[in-house]
Amino acid sequence: MSELDEALYLIADVCRKAAAGNLEARVPYLGESKAETEARSAINDLLDRTDAFVREAGAASAAGAAGHFYRRFLVGGMGGAYRRAAEEISRSGDAMSRNAEQIAAAAESRIAFADQLETAVLALSERIAAAAGEMGRSANGLAGFARSAVGDAERGLETVTELRRSSGQIRHAVDLINRVAMQTQLLSLNASIEAARAGAAGRGFSVVANEVKTLANETGESSGEIIDQVDAVQLASEDAVRVLKAVTDRIREMSGLIDGIAAAVDGDTAHETTGLSELAEVLRVEVQSFLAAARA
Amino acid sequence: MKTKTTQVRPTGQERKFSDGELIVTKTDTKGILTYANDVFLRISALDEEDAIGQPHNLIRHPDMPRAVFKLLWDTLKEQREIFAYVVNLASDGAHYWVFAHVTPSFDDNGRVVGYHSNRRVPSRSAIAAADELYGVLRAAERRHDRAQEAVAAGHAALQRVLAERGCSYDELVWDLSTNGRAR
Repeated sequence: MSELDEALYLIADVCRKAAAGNLEARVPYLGESKAETEARSAINDLLDRTDAFVREAGAASAAGAAGHFYRRFLVGGMGGAYRRAAEEISRSGDAMSRNAEQIAAAAESRIAFADQLETAVLALSERIAAAAGEMGRSANGLAGFARSAVGDAERGLETVTELRRSSGQIRHAVDLINRVAMQTQLLSLNASIEAARAGAAGRGFSVVANEVKTLANETGESSGEIIDQVDAVQLASEDAVRVLKAVTDRIREMSGLIDGIAAAVDGDTAHETTGLSELAEVLRVEVQSFLAAARA
Repeated sequence: MKTKTTQVRPTGQERKFSDGELIVTKTDTKGILTYANDVFLRISALDEEDAIGQPHNLIRHPDMPRAVFKLLWDTLKEQREIFAYVVNLASDGAHYWVFAHVTPSFDDNGRVVGYHSNRRVPSRSAIAAADELYGVLRAAERRHDRAQEAVAAGHAALQRVLAERGCSYDELVWDLSTNGRAR
């Protein structure tokens, strides 16, 4: 085998190893000639740069995957396609770094949002609870007021009904007086006729009969007036009864509405509904467990 | 051809390599050089036969704190990559700064078969910052005669610096390399 063949076999051996991924092998000393020195130097340079690229590509990607974004792809000593690929890997590292920063920023703003939400919900639920307490107390006060108003109105109704009944009795009495007055008029007329027949002897009696007639007439007129007034009282009291009944109904309706408000605020055990202050507490607890999940 | 039998004296002259170049070396698991590329040999002013088979601290500069190398080896033992700003000493006394990325090399069964170091050109601002940091560590180490105590003191000083800045070593290194842009 010639010296050249030997040198070529040595080169072939190293190239085969490198092709198989063994980048440790290098071309050994081939000979003193310029061609031999050049060939060895050129092939080893190729292997060195390939070796460097492979080491950088592996290490830079691993560092990126581990989040060590400060570790960059070293492009020094890399030319042409090596450099372009190296820069590409560097750019993807930068993109990963930016993504990681964005994710971190998003996480930070999520935590900040959670804090804000928590503060807002806590304040809100406290205010709802306070307002609910206030509303509950007001509703209970209104309900008591409505009950006593209904009682008062019912008593007023009784009084007016009593008034109607007694004015009916007055009318009855006045009717009686009227009948007596008419009877008395008739009587006084008869007395006047009898007095005239008696002549001079009946003159004094005739004066008395006239007086009685006048009295009876006056009585009749007065009782007519009384009846008119009693009629007016009865009409007015009928009106009053109608109005009082309407007022009582309204107050009863209002009382029902107030009970509804009280039930909404305080809760209603009979219908298993939850009160407003309890709902505020439920909201607070729910939001806090949501936030605990969001912060994790 | 130079031999490493005598200690090289730093001349203070700085050597640079270009942005497109990579300095590459490979060592076995004990840190013995098994491969060095052309750029390494040129910048270190070494012939291949002077380098291969030698321990990697062949190019060790006296300005480098011991604690940094301890951190490097501790990290590699955990099979993790490590980055470091390193000033190296060429055999002719010149020095050169690198941004080193050292990684374990694995075989198909996942066993560590050696270590690999890629070195790139660092920025001037990163060099200045690393130089300042290493000055602090060196000062802490030089108060001790015994190597072990010196390493411990340098390590403690590094931890204090990191605690003050509130970052990890990796984050500090990357902060320097990107001038804070990556963070």
